Amino acid sequence: MTNPSARSPEERVAFLEAKARDVRRAIVEMVHSAQSGHCGGSLSAADFVTALYFDLMDIDPAEPRKPDRDRFVLSKGHACPVWYAALALRGYFPVEELSTLRRNDSRLQGHPVATYLPGVDATSGSLGLGFGQALGMALDARLSGRTNTVWAVLGDGELDEGVVWETAAQAAKYRLDNLVAIVDRNNLQNDGRADDILPMEPIDRKFESFNWRVLEMDGHDMRQVLATLEKARERTGKPTCVIARTVKGKGVSFMEDKREWHGKPPSDEERRRACEEIEGRTE
Amino acid sequence: MSLPPAKAPTRRAIMDRLVEAAREDRSFVVLDSDIGYSTYSYLFGDAYPDRYFNLGIAELGTMAAAAGLAADGRTVFVCGYGVFLTMRALEAVRSFVCYPRLNVKIFSSHAGVTAAIDGVTHQATEDLAFMATLPNMTVLAPCDSASARAAFDLARNTPGPVFVRLMRDPLKEVYAPETTFRVGGSHTPRRGDDVTIACLGDMVIQAVEAAELLAAEGISAEVLDLYSLKPWDEAALAKSLDRTGALLVAENHQRRNGLGYELAAWCMRNGRSVPFAQLGLADTFAESGAYAKTLEKFGLDAAAIARTARDLVARKN
Ligand SMILES: Cc1ncc(C[n+]2csc(CCOP(=O)(O)OP(=O)(O)O)c2C)c(N)n1
Ligand SMILES: [Mg+2]
Repeated sequence: MTNPSARSPEERVAFLEAKARDVRRAIVEMVHSAQSGHCGGSLSAADFVTALYFDLMDIDPAEPRKPDRDRFVLSKGHACPVWYAALALRGYFPVEELSTLRRNDSRLQGHPVATYLPGVDATSGSLGLGFGQALGMALDARLSGRTNTVWAVLGDGELDEGVVWETAAQAAKYRLDNLVAIVDRNNLQNDGRADDILPMEPIDRKFESFNWRVLEMDGHDMRQVLATLEKARERTGKPTCVIARTVKGKGVSFMEDKREWHGKPPSDEERRRACEEIEGRTE
Repeated sequence: MSLPPAKAPTRRAIMDRLVEAAREDRSFVVLDSDIGYSTYSYLFGDAYPDRYFNLGIAELGTMAAAAGLAADGRTVFVCGYGVFLTMRALEAVRSFVCYPRLNVKIFSSHAGVTAAIDGVTHQATEDLAFMATLPNMTVLAPCDSASARAAFDLARNTPGPVFVRLMRDPLKEVYAPETTFRVGGSHTPRRGDDVTIACLGDMVIQAVEAAELLAAEGISAEVLDLYSLKPWDEAALAKSLDRTGALLVAENHQRRNGLGYELAAWCMRNGRSVPFAQLGLADTFAESGAYAKTLEKFGLDAAAIARTARDLVARKN
């Protein structure tokens, strides 16, 4: 991959938008092939995960465990199709392996497990506890004198877990400005609207009152995503929370903002329509 | 004669019965933690919104709230996945539900590798160990619609905490709808003289299939369904072993600290030195995959049960 900073800003955005389409198609194909898995929350995170993996993060697929790599933790582990897609397309393992998702003997477990796959450093799937692992990684980076950033992705429903707020307080105590939490604010969780199931607003002021710096972005506007995440990794003496306003199922019209598509696999026909739409063959 | 396919998974069957019972019994409440569409507790929530509390993805706090709701004697049903209810919420279950012996009934789905496809983080493979270890806790593990429906009534009518182990997918029907069940009871869906296969939950179905495989080669296996794990039917096991003189325990759970350890300790205490074997997860995590394939890979399917039973019978002679 060529150095992103060598590209013009327009080229950079166009490149990432094209990559995000590849990631989205891979998500749909993967969950279709497994006939099980989570499309909605994978698609809502697709743009910022693409920006991290194909531009912003200091990583090297040829040396997945290089000590000073940026760390990525998918605390909302059920959305691992987006992570697996980004890792495969970035060269961490063969793209063909994506079709083994959730099958016996596969490295692509239903929820991500550290050490099974190159590039996966944290186990998740039980909500709330990836965030704490990210905090530990940020402490470890500081202890070891490394300058890498730790990126954690949380669901907005995941914020219901009390342990999330333990981690938030701990990060503030140690002024972990190498830790960035991205909240995928799609306003849906398993049983309905996040705002109905357990109202957590104002999320920005909650994090601010925990002594975090808070940024917001349209999680599907690649220009904004890049600008916001670049700012998020600046060191300010505080951990940073980025609230990504997103649409669950983004990119596939019949999945968008629909509760049912939280954890439902597409049929053959739905897969075909979804891929056509993602590739822009229909508008 | 093979078993007919199940009409519904046990997680659904027990909830259908709960919704029925709610029509006459206005006293109980139901709690969920944002998986009501998976536990089917939404069926109750839609019908009785005032008595349904979806407390968000917050299993530990939800269990503590259950203790509070039950403090004056009210019966509280808490629905969720086994991994979260028996691990994240474990301390609340132990110290605030079991210790004061409150009427909190835990309906725990995704038992063992029946949630195979979701992977290890969603497979409750240590839940029986945790729950059966807790003083005052009653533990039930139905295998089909009839026993799951009955488990609702047993849970409601038994004072104190009750844990019911439920499954994600529809499997087979083992019992006729009118079959009765009791706390501390058991059933023998297959009678036999050569070996006792003690089991619970989905392993009852595998054991019945194993008994059929064994019958074809002239081995008569008895299937003992210990759907009530705590308390369990010691008299039934004693009677069965008197006849068969060999014990195979099959459970969709870690071998350690589940049904197998319980029955082995009982055999030792009672001087029953019979040929004994245990099937379950052998100190390992399982993996994502298809349910049937996962059972096969970890030696929990009918073929593995039949193989092991055959060896046990050979050891008798
Ligand atoms: C501790 C825990 N409780 C429950 C679940 C089951 N579960 C999986 S995804 C989900 C909803 C998540 O909603 P959100 O965090 O908003 O994710 P997204 O909308 O991005 O998919 C639930 C309840 C879980 N994985 N972990
Ligand atoms: Mg959400």
